[in-house]
Order: sequence, then structure tokens, then C-alpha cells
Amino acid sequence: MKKECVAMLLAGGQGSRLHALTSHVAKPAVPFGGKYRIIDFPLSNCVNSGIDTVGVLTQYRPMELNAYLGNGQPWDLDRTDGGVHVLPPYMREGEKGTWYKGTANAICQNIDFIELYDPDYVLILSGDHIYKMDYSKMLAHHKATNAACTISVLEVTMEEATRFGIMNVDETDTVYEFEEKPAHPKSNLASMGIYIFTWSKLREYLLADEADETSSNDFGKNIIPAMLNANEKLVAYRFQGYWKDVGTIDSLWDANMDMLSPENGIDLYDTEWPIFARTPTKPPHYTGANAHISHSMVTGGCVVYGDVENSILFHSVTVEPGAKVRYSILMPGTVVKAGAVVEYSIVAENTTIGSYAQVGAPPSDSAPEDWGIAVVAQGLTVGDHAVVAPKAMITSDVKGGAAK
Amino acid sequence: MMNKLHGIIFAYRSNPDLQELTQHRNTCSVPYGGRYRVVDFMLSNMVNAGMTDVGLIAHANYQSLLDHVGSGKDWDLSRKHGGLRILPPFSYADKLGDGTYKGRMDALAGVFSYLENIRQPYVCLAGGDLAVNLPLKEIYASHIESGADITAVCTSHPNGDPKNCDYFTVGEDGMVVDVAVHPKEPKGMESLEVYIISKDLLLEVVSHCSAHNISSFSQGVLMEMVRTGKKINAYRFDGYAARLQSVAGYFARSMELLNDDVRAQLFVPERPIKTKDRSNPSTYYGPDSRSVNSLVADGCIIEGEVENSILFRGVRVEKGARVSNCVLMQGTTIQAGVVLKYAITDKNVRINPGRMLMGHATYPLAISKNEIV
Repeated sequence: MKKECVAMLLAGGQGSRLHALTSHVAKPAVPFGGKYRIIDFPLSNCVNSGIDTVGVLTQYRPMELNAYLGNGQPWDLDRTDGGVHVLPPYMREGEKGTWYKGTANAICQNIDFIELYDPDYVLILSGDHIYKMDYSKMLAHHKATNAACTISVLEVTMEEATRFGIMNVDETDTVYEFEEKPAHPKSNLASMGIYIFTWSKLREYLLADEADETSSNDFGKNIIPAMLNANEKLVAYRFQGYWKDVGTIDSLWDANMDMLSPENGIDLYDTEWPIFARTPTKPPHYTGANAHISHSMVTGGCVVYGDVENSILFHSVTVEPGAKVRYSILMPGTVVKAGAVVEYSIVAENTTIGSYAQVGAPPSDSAPEDWGIAVVAQGLTVGDHAVVAPKAMITSDVKGGAAK
Repeated sequence: MMNKLHGIIFAYRSNPDLQELTQHRNTCSVPYGGRYRVVDFMLSNMVNAGMTDVGLIAHANYQSLLDHVGSGKDWDLSRKHGGLRILPPFSYADKLGDGTYKGRMDALAGVFSYLENIRQPYVCLAGGDLAVNLPLKEIYASHIESGADITAVCTSHPNGDPKNCDYFTVGEDGMVVDVAVHPKEPKGMESLEVYIISKDLLLEVVSHCSAHNISSFSQGVLMEMVRTGKKINAYRFDGYAARLQSVAGYFARSMELLNDDVRAQLFVPERPIKTKDRSNPSTYYGPDSRSVNSLVADGCIIEGEVENSILFRGVRVEKGARVSNCVLMQGTTIQAGVVLKYAITDKNVRINPGRMLMGHATYPLAISKNEIV
């Protein structure tokens, strides 16, 4: 059946800068904010914006992401007409076919899927951003300005602008130039990686780009410049509100911490724009007689006997008596044994921190260049009395240390 | 292999002693354990034993129950073949007039055509108002092995009110030799009113009781079986089981959940209790909050102090508020400076700033749904 707008969510990236956290899962499936995975944000935004047809383009380590999306039921995307569809790269007759070569190629390989719904517009999304956005307002803007492409932009500081793709615009916010990470930015409008295209236009440029063997088949590098060169109307849509790219350990940690302060970040408790997730049913969490919890989030199935400060505990985390967790993110099933201290760390799923182990340290304890968030990958054991230095990336078991 | 058991849950009872708690719902849909409705336990027990078809017998006051179970998808019971079926009293009113079922045999007679169409050879009958984590697979195996006509689950830890319970005297061979229905004092094993019986025998006893105008399962089936020398296999289950029969009893059963051992018996990892999913965020604890010896569901915002309490989803405890020995149901808001002790607040209750309210352990204060104090 015809849909006015179909969303295509790019979820194939490895997220190599998240390293230890993406050794088993694609970046969009990385747990976030106590109850969610990163992909829940764009998916929930789609549903809340009235978009009921979403293609999810997967490539790197898709198993867990596929299982997580399932039939789309947690997002009400289990539909007979539309719904969520996982779109991996595929082979074609004559043994043709490739992996997704770039973001534009990923969409190009799925033109048939898009045309099933005969859409007027296509919304392109990334699976690595945390934000709440009403895409229907952006679509209304796209229609009102009669643009071929609308790019959602965020106003950043001039200093930050050097790290983003920057849109240079005229007085009507029509884009005349796009610069990737400019050394001397002319504008502070950073692309958020969210595009709405008039489908007939995008289709034309995708096919032309595909025919160009020198192209790297990327939206930012190829499609947008090609459209600018051809004098197509590209419009910037100014977004106001919280938006964060969680592509690095630091930004992932920061964004999680932002969830503890709804006035600075996103209000997850707002029922007007809920973020949906697929979560197992766990009993309520239990706080022990000597538990101390402050400025933290705690999820079902957790058992807390020790101290938890400024931290986020996903479901089924155990903090034993005398253990201390500060400024840390503990993913589902983490066990922090008695007396252990976990500070400024991200601990991935089902990892056990042994008794009296020390993981991470506060920034004040080391020179700035040596300090960073410590990361322990999933399913590992950090032995009793072991020490994991700040900024460490732990991807195999750590032997126990000597008793102090 | 298709599972050989079909589940029937009696979900029509509204226990009058639960007062405010059953004003808007029947006993099965009373919230319990921080995020569940009582019926979740038996539904999950059946699903965890591999049952794919479950009939839920409802009568009056079942709107809240319907809203909760929906299509059954949260228990994987939304199926093309079988699955969850809500059984309202469709053929009952014509025959016996108005009024709720007088007993389980009436309820079964009321859904007789459904029973005839059951595609499994055995039926598990259970109340939806019992919070327990039962190994129904093992109980079924015990039924088959015993060669008995019926298997009845009972416990040696009586916790019900004798005037609402049945008791079994069990012989050395593990078979029931005597049944005491609603005695003054407990006598032997207390029945958990969970049974396994073959479909054929079930249809036979339902027809018999219907023809003889017998409403009570205990009298019409169990006592009759003892009298005629049929075999009743007593399956002893000594794990935790909570019956919710009065406001004080509800409060006591809730507080028992703060015991690690009780939770371990009720929330068995390999037999998870499932419930309706609501997509709540995690619970947030403010900088000056305190939460000790408490069970707290997701979606709460706690900025005050909570002690020895059970908090359901989406509860707010504002700064300076002190909550101890309370059960706060979904959406309760405790405003700044409130002191609340030994209270049960039903859904969406709001306690305005500075109020002090206290009940007693044996006589907890129950505040009805949507009330503002």
C-alpha cells in the first residue's frame, strides 16, 4: 500500500571506536540509558511521528540486532501493512552483489523495498544518535519549502563546528555549500545525519551515483554535493533540543550521564514521547538494608546491597555489600562482588568484577592524558583484588591481584 | 510433541474481605509484588510448563482483567492455534439467572462447550488468585506416574484462612484419604486448589454436578471421589504460596517479599513470571534519596526516603517525604514532606504535601484508587 514517507535506518556500522562494546554487537544494539539500546531512539521517534514503515539496513554483526528487532512488536511495528523490515545486503543473479559499500549504496541496493510502498518522501536515519525528534514537523517543513532534500541541523559552537559536517546557508536557510569538518567553519549548523528526500529526486541521484565507479557511495561525500552542484533545493531544518552522537566511549558515557539530569538531556519519564524498548520481564529491584543509592538509575532485577552514586544500572545487576559503584554504567547482568570499587567505567553485559577489585579511577587521581573511562567487554571476569587502570579497554579476563 | 495439558484459570472470584482493593477489580487482577497482577503467576506457571492453550473463566468485574491480559501476547499466548481465551459467562445467565458463579462447578458448567472442544487429553485447573511459582511440568509427571484419577496440589505450610480453605489427610501411599472443606481449624495439608485431571473425567464430573445442582468442586468432585474410592494423588509443594484473602493478609503477604528467600522461591530464573509490558524507564534516585529494604519497580522517581516498602511502577516520592512499611501501587504520588507508614495506596493515589498518615501492621490503612488525600 502507498505510504507518504518511508524511513530507512542505517544500522550497519561497526562502531569501531566503541571497540570493546561492539565486539559482539552492532553499534545500534549497544545498551543505553538503563533500559534501551541506541536504536530505540530513532525507532521510537518514527513511531511517535506517525511513520509506520521502517527499513533497517544491517551488515556488521547483525545477529543480536535482528533478534532485538524481532517482529517489531515493542515499537508497535508488527504490522500487516508496513512495519519494521531488516534489510541485509544480498546476492543477485549472475553472482552479482556486494556488501553495502557506503550509506548511499545501502539505500540504492534497497530501491525495490522502498518502491513497494510507492512513497513521496524517504527519511534517512542513523542508528547512533540519542535524541527525541518529531519527524512529521521536519516533513511538513520539507513540503512547505518545496525542497528536494531537507537536512536536519543543530546549532553548535564555532569550535565544535570543526568536528562536524557543516551546512552553509543563505538567509532562507537554503544550503549553498556543504563542508565536512572544516578547519575554518563559515557557519555553525552541523548536520545531524537526518535527511528527508523527495523520493523521485533521491532515486535519480542514487542511480547516477551508483553508475559512477569513482564514487564512495556516501550521502555526505557524494549525494549531497552532487545535488548542490546540480542546483537542487537543499534546505536546513533547525532542530532544537538534545542530540548526541554516541560514536565514542566518552560521548557514550556522557550521554548516559545526561539521562540522570532530565533538565539537561532527554526526559525519559515524559509520557508524551515515550521511548520503547524490548526488555525482559524482571521482578522489581531490591535495595538492601545498608544500600546507599544517589543520583542514579536502577532497573528491574537488580539487587543493591552496596553504594551506587551517579551511575546507571541496567537490569539484573548485582552490587554486593561493601561494593562501591560511582560514575559508571553497568550493563545487564553485571555482578560487582563485595568490596569492589568501580568508578568512571563502562562494564558490558554479564561481566563479573571480583571482590576488592578496582576498576577505573576518578580523573583527579591521574594526569589528564592518562585518564579516561575504563571499559570492560561483555562476559568477562575481573579477578579478586585485580586493578583495571583508567582508560583501559579490557577484552579478556583479568587475573586476580595480590590481596592488599 | 504437543503439550498434553490445557490450562483453566478461575478468574471470577472477588474476595469481599479485600475491600478497597477489589472495588474496581476482581481478586485475580489485584496488583501484587511490585509490578504484577496476581493472575500473572498462574498464567506464567502454565506457560512455563509448555501449555499453549489457556482458558480464563471470568464473570463480573473483569474489565481490569481484560485490559491486563489483552491478547495474551506478553505470555506468548497470542497464537494462531489455541492461545489465551477469555471465557465470560456466555451460557450461564440463561440457565441459572443472574449472580456470580456459586462455585467452580458452576463456572465449569458455564463454559461446558469450551471444555468439550479442548484438544489436549489433560486439564490443569487453578485459581487465578494465588501467587506461587509452581513446577506444573513436574506435577503433571507426578499425575501420570501415580495413575490417580486426579492430582491435587497441597502444602504443609498452611497460610490461608481455614474458613476459605480445604484440607487433605494424606495416606502413606501419597493418596488423599479425607477432605475437610472450610473447617474451623486447619487439618492436615492445605489445598492450593490446583488440580490435574483428564479431559474425559472432567467432562463427566461437570455433567454430573450440573445435573445434581452441585456448585462446589470440593464437595462435588473431591469428597465424592473419596467416597467412591477413586484415587486422589496429593502433590506436596512446600515453596512459597501467597493467598490474598483480606486487606491485612494482602499487606502481610506483600511484606514477606522483602525476604530474600521468599523472592528466590517466587522469582525462579528458569520459570520467569511474565506480565504486561509497559515500557517504563529505569527508576531514578535523587541525590538525597534513601531506599533500604525495599522492592522498587521501574519508572519510579524517588527523591525522598523509602524503607521496608513495595513500590509499583511509576511511583513518585518527593523530597523530604518518608515512606515506611507501605505498599504503593502504580502511579502513586507522595508529595513533599509526607510521612506515610503502614499504608496501601491503590493506583494513582496522591498524598498532598505535609500529610501524616499511619496505619498498623495488623490493620494497614488502605487508600482507594485515584483518591487524593
